[in-house]
Amino acid sequence: MNDLLHPAPERLSEYLDGELGDRERAQVATHLQGCGDCAGAVDQLRAVKERAASLPARGPETDLWPAIEGRLKPRGATAGGRATILSPARGWRDWRVSLGLPQLAAAALALVLLGAGGLWVALERTRPSTPAATTTDRTAPDFIGPTALPADFGFVRYDGAIAALRQTLENHRDELDPTTVRIVDRNLLVIDHAIAEARRALAADPANPYLNHHLADQMQRKVNLLRQVTALIHA
Amino acid sequence: MERSEPGVTVRDTIDEGTPGAADRGDAERARAGDARAYERLYRRHAARIHGLARRMIGFDVADEVTQDVFVRAWEKLGTFRGEAAFGTWLYRLAINLMLSRRSWLGLQRRRMDEREGTLEALPARPASSDLSMDFERAIALLPPGAREIFVLHDVEGFKHQEIARELRVTTGTTKAQLHRARAMLRRHLEA
Repeated sequence: MNDLLHPAPERLSEYLDGELGDRERAQVATHLQGCGDCAGAVDQLRAVKERAASLPARGPETDLWPAIEGRLKPRGATAGGRATILSPARGWRDWRVSLGLPQLAAAALALVLLGAGGLWVALERTRPSTPAATTTDRTAPDFIGPTALPADFGFVRYDGAIAALRQTLENHRDELDPTTVRIVDRNLLVIDHAIAEARRALAADPANPYLNHHLADQMQRKVNLLRQVTALIHA
Repeated sequence: MERSEPGVTVRDTIDEGTPGAADRGDAERARAGDARAYERLYRRHAARIHGLARRMIGFDVADEVTQDVFVRAWEKLGTFRGEAAFGTWLYRLAINLMLSRRSWLGLQRRRMDEREGTLEALPARPASSDLSMDFERAIALLPPGAREIFVLHDVEGFKHQEIARELRVTTGTTKAQLHRARAMLRRHLEA
């Protein structure tokens, strides 16, 4: 490289990062000694690099833990043949039960039945609210509901629960605060967008486990949101 | 100062404030189903993961991606054997999830697009007294391909070879995109 010729711009970044070989590094260094423009450019690139490296850690503006906690699935059986079942909902997070294998089998059966019961509860909510339905909602452990639909219920079951809860929202929309309705609608729009994108991606790659998982997550989010709204309606 | 683990180079500063022993203990408890222990892990690592999501994917979806990372990590805790620090394991999982997400969201199609004028949308001078946040917003306005490489290299401390392997591009591409990002941000700092 002729000292009078400017190095390619990318070389200046590589020089800064120590990515050049000895010979080229020496050439660039010599050039920088006689070229204020290039030396200034390297100083500015260094300033960018240093700024990037010193960016402070900054967490989310809102606490994401409640939403995360609501999405945590109970742990499966452990190597010792015992499982810890943990309710995901805030307020129940300290509730743990240790089960042996026979109990676990019975619990699995119960979970399926309760999941079906949860769907029934969701469907019941399409009707005008009754004291009995409200009582069920407040006293039952959170896994009795759409949040714990067994995996083999599949997306169709989510669709059913979502439709039922959505209908409840529509039936009682006027009873909610307009700001709440606006926020809910906006959130539903975001989730629906994510669901639509996931479905489109799945159409191209149906066996992709990430996409399947992501779609299930999004549908679960929608169920969770709608359940919160129906809880407000019934409160 | 940097240290290397398989496939990852992490600045020592990344793990500041996250005592390894506490992480290990809480990870074991969380693996057994203890959500309170997992919440403590979340509290210690949320800022770092959220920062990565914010810079890699964007402000608008950073909350959602952060949630997804911690939900996925909960499901994958059984694969955490404590050979690496929990923070490193989580960070690795987060990077993979974010790269996967940006891929299927279609961001990859726009990775190397030419949007040199994007940063012109910023005010000529920083409108905020918070210079670091202003700089973060400038990063967010970079073209996706240049932004990812800039974040992974200059913010997170990855090396070109590692980035190229993860993104399945050549180191020539990563170097060119890194310089492109720096040059655009340089103009921002000049303003």
